[in-house]
Amino acid sequence: MTHDVKQTLKPNGLGRKTHSRRRFFRKSAGTAVMGGFLAAVAGSYMRLRTGGVAPAKARGPLGIVRPPGALAENDFLASCIRCTRCADACEVNCIDFFGSEAGPLQGTPCIVPIERGCTLCLKCGEACPTGSLVPLSKKEDVDMGDAVVDDRLCVSINGTGVCGACYTACPLSEKAITQGIRNAPEIHPDFCTGCGLCEEFCIVDEREGLRAIQVVTKRTWPYKKEVA
Amino acid sequence: MAREIHKLQVARRAVQMAVVVVLLAIPVVSRYANYLAARELDKTLVKWDGTLQGETLALIDSGFRALPGGEKERVGEIVRDREQVLTYTQGFRGGPWSMEFAGVSMTDPLGAAESVAARKGIDKVLMISLIVPIIATVLLGRVFCSWICPVGFLLELTEKFRRVLRFLELRPHNVLFSRATKYTLLGVGLVMAAWLSVPVLAYIYPPAIVSREVHDLVFGMFDRAEEGRLGFWAGGLTWMSLLIVGIIVFELLISRRWWCRYICPGGALYGLLGALRPVRVKLRESKCTRCADCVAVCPVGLNPMENRMGIDCDSCGVCISSCHDDALGYGATRYVKEAPHDFSGTEAVSPK
Repeated sequence: MTHDVKQTLKPNGLGRKTHSRRRFFRKSAGTAVMGGFLAAVAGSYMRLRTGGVAPAKARGPLGIVRPPGALAENDFLASCIRCTRCADACEVNCIDFFGSEAGPLQGTPCIVPIERGCTLCLKCGEACPTGSLVPLSKKEDVDMGDAVVDDRLCVSINGTGVCGACYTACPLSEKAITQGIRNAPEIHPDFCTGCGLCEEFCIVDEREGLRAIQVVTKRTWPYKKEVA
Repeated sequence: MAREIHKLQVARRAVQMAVVVVLLAIPVVSRYANYLAARELDKTLVKWDGTLQGETLALIDSGFRALPGGEKERVGEIVRDREQVLTYTQGFRGGPWSMEFAGVSMTDPLGAAESVAARKGIDKVLMISLIVPIIATVLLGRVFCSWICPVGFLLELTEKFRRVLRFLELRPHNVLFSRATKYTLLGVGLVMAAWLSVPVLAYIYPPAIVSREVHDLVFGMFDRAEEGRLGFWAGGLTWMSLLIVGIIVFELLISRRWWCRYICPGGALYGLLGALRPVRVKLRESKCTRCADCVAVCPVGLNPMENRMGIDCDSCGVCISSCHDDALGYGATRYVKEAPHDFSGTEAVSPK
């Protein structure tokens, strides 16, 4: 009992001839479904290329904060496979993910320092399976960005009070932040890791999402900002 | 023989269920480690006592305390050994897309292939995490699909549910598609990943979706619990879950095991990697009585009776359990060259 490839068996073992035109349509249907999936992904990518609103987690002009040891942004987007191992490994749950509004950035990890800063435990680098986050051994090696102080908002600088919260929060205080008169912070970008603990603990809450000290990175939202 | 093989199916179900449990537990372990590292665990356990989040944390806690070295004696009472438990928690991360289980890092070859295609380079860490999956696949074939994949498990249960529909005389369709689709999708996806420099299939590959969605689900519930809103909540899920729901509905009504048979790019890659597997389902022709029971049950829609278990076969062994004549089994060779079954002595029944 032999069957050629074009025959399909019924459970009783009897063959049923499948017509070649039907086979053609079935193949086309499968290809169409497949094309639909890929078109959806490519479409969301192209939509962002041509216009699209940056999500709040991209932090506007301040730039995206990636976890410690992240590769350059283009390499990072290419090699990150959007698993969740870095966030599972994170000691303080500071790693968040971009949602579906972020197109090709969806599922990539980011840190939103105003909600929770990174404590530089460096577990995420150990956890990353693709080397997108390079494992680091020293806190000093981390360079996620640099903290920048807004002189008009900082209470220690503008003369409305004496604070020092950023200095206290900084894991590398005395190296990355030193204090001047009335605890006025002074940032040393060579040592600043961009962990964002200063931003998290800054007492200034003038407007929603605005602190006197903020982490600035070079990884700004790579796509067009607004729909025209 | 048949009894023994039946045990294999029981073992397979047990492994599949264990994977689902591990998948749900890993994000909880992560949050557990957060509270433990912040020395807030005991406070949290008391505060959330009797709620979903509190009970799962307590369950994870008792599990880790039961491990060797998980507890120590301090001033006459038994307490949790915080450092040791924290060390244990670090061995569990991720989901079926890329998982660290008990310290062993494993990544789906599809994820690795996409990462390599998009980045045009490979990292040592990635090669290390490929060791276990690739060795297992080269030796055993597409076993990830039949033993580990949580979506494969879900779709197997969906297939069982089609029987209910048939019982209700709703007659689900079984439209056949081309098996080549999944290999095409794999190729096109990898080319797209290389062209756009972004992993593309990671967004449509169900185990990857499940990895992220389960993480978001559990983390979302714990985030809300920290704000005082305890209990179940699934509002953090994205459109990607709808894709899986769509697949389930499609398989239920239109095409049996559609995704795994025709579309899944990950299954395609596992199949290609396991093309030369030494351990495969084989047919002993001298024992086969051509009853075709195996053809009806094969989840991948292959024909074990004709010994056509090529790269699509996921070695689940369902055909082996279905065989009454002991003609199918796992073997080291693909085809046993023997004389066909001797039908002499059996009563010939001529069809009318």
